[in-house]
Amino acid sequence: MEVSSPVTGTIWKIEVGPGDRVQEGDVIMILESMKMEIPVEAEAAGVIRSLAVEPGVAVDEGQALCVIES
Amino acid sequence: MASGPMIAAKDVAPAETPKQSKMAELERRVERALAMGGEAKLARRKAAGLLNARERIDHLVDPGSYIETGLLGVSSVLAEDRDSTPADGKVAGFARVDGRPVGVVANDFTVKGASSSLTNMKKIGHVKRVATERGFPLIFLGESSGARMPDNMGSRGMGTLLGNDPHQYVRHRESPWVSAILGQCYGSSAWYSCLSDFIVMRKGATMAVASAALASLAIGQQVDPEQLGGWKLHSEVTGLVDRVAGTDEEALDQIRLFLSYMPSHNQEAPPVAAVPPGSDAAAAHLADIVPENRRRVYDVRKIINAIVDKASFFELKPRFGATAVIGLARLNGASVGIVANNPMGKAGAMDVAACEKITRFLVMCDSFNIPIVLLVDTPGFVIGIEGERMKAPGKIMNFMTALQMCSVPKFSIIMRKSYGQAYLNMGGGRNSDEVAAWPTAEVSFMDPAYAVQVVTWGRDVDDEARAALRAQMERDSDVWGMAEIYAVQAVIPPGETRDYLVRMLDVHTMRRSRGVGKHLMASWPTTF
Repeated sequence: MEVSSPVTGTIWKIEVGPGDRVQEGDVIMILESMKMEIPVEAEAAGVIRSLAVEPGVAVDEGQALCVIES
Repeated sequence: MASGPMIAAKDVAPAETPKQSKMAELERRVERALAMGGEAKLARRKAAGLLNARERIDHLVDPGSYIETGLLGVSSVLAEDRDSTPADGKVAGFARVDGRPVGVVANDFTVKGASSSLTNMKKIGHVKRVATERGFPLIFLGESSGARMPDNMGSRGMGTLLGNDPHQYVRHRESPWVSAILGQCYGSSAWYSCLSDFIVMRKGATMAVASAALASLAIGQQVDPEQLGGWKLHSEVTGLVDRVAGTDEEALDQIRLFLSYMPSHNQEAPPVAAVPPGSDAAAAHLADIVPENRRRVYDVRKIINAIVDKASFFELKPRFGATAVIGLARLNGASVGIVANNPMGKAGAMDVAACEKITRFLVMCDSFNIPIVLLVDTPGFVIGIEGERMKAPGKIMNFMTALQMCSVPKFSIIMRKSYGQAYLNMGGGRNSDEVAAWPTAEVSFMDPAYAVQVVTWGRDVDDEARAALRAQMERDSDVWGMAEIYAVQAVIPPGETRDYLVRMLDVHTMRRSRGVGKHLMASWPTTF
């Protein structure tokens, strides 16, 4: 399942790495937009398969951030 | 002469009188109509976990309250269809929901796909006229293949069936209209859904202008029904649907719930419900919900649930325009419409979808005498090419016009940020009847982080001066300046918000018109 950005902004912090197990609601990464910290949460439990971005990267709304395997 | 066995006179049934024969004919026709499309089709629906038209009405309305209109109607277009069109495919009548009258039209998909034709259109017209003139909601249980073919074909068919009611699709919002999309909805089923005030859709159902089969024919490639008109499309992309349900029963229960907030018609105030015990308790924790760090976000639903009567918040369009949260709720038993910025969504910045959903909600609340509560925490409107391509300035103005045309009481609570034009759209200044702010409110034209760059553009200003300027701007954004010039009517601790709203609702009761507003948007378009 692909996690996409809810907003146009910049990647600020990435809280997980490939292979990490996440529960529904866990914060995967935090974006910065409109001078606010916007957390991106896992919609379902799973394992992080891959990350498509790194801190400092600008992203568009809907852009792929990472892939979670349930 | 040969004769059969002797038969006693008493064993011979007397010939049926004309009166008895007519009663028997009535019984036969009633039984035929109630059988709908027949055992086989009904069994298939049951096996698929779907209710039929009459079961849907039974589940929705108060037991024993349903009285049908037009039970013996059949196709009046083709003589050969008379025996195969019980109730002409649409089951219509009057009933009660939670003791209050309603008109209901349930599509019977087992009869020619519940397609529209002359007799059933007359039935719908009648129920609609009665509901409007006698003052009660109209409920459409949608599942229809559209207009009946070949009844509507050719110029004679068109002239007979379509276009003969010049008011068929006009809404003046005299009473609430509610639709459930419970199967394939094309044609009139889709039209009446779009015209409704509340639309709930069952997963697996579809709503579109025409079927996927027809669309595939027209464009020469396979069209996926879910992409054409499925629940995800309508709850997340188009916003044409307010809520999604897993089963027919769940959808019907949501209709009952929606109606419980609404008046029966627009010339009366909404009903007042009992206040659940413990409704005052949660407000004490309001101050803890907004984070200490002004850069952090939170889910505004937590705030809403702590302010309104316990468990009374009924959210609409939760997956569309998610930067704002809208829904019906109660304060001290009275219905209110909640409009709240949600920092969880794009930091609370309002995009085009949020503007559309809020605008339509303002129109509905104002048209049905429901006061509006705006909870504000927004850095402004979303800026960028995507929004401009979706006519952002026009949508912002629709929102503004609707807000200013409301005659129901409006209350605005500035919780944290309120910047720029969004300050007006969320009820700032004289755009609501009472504005109260929390001590954490920040109000200015532009966030100081951006504003300091704008005002020092192209000028030779060092970092220290820039930092000092920014700090001054941040101090100026504090709420005290507004309070001193009476641009807010009150500054209150978060924990007092529920009490403040309950008291102000009472102060602003529309006594002179018995709780009824001016309805300046009663004819506002239903989609825009």
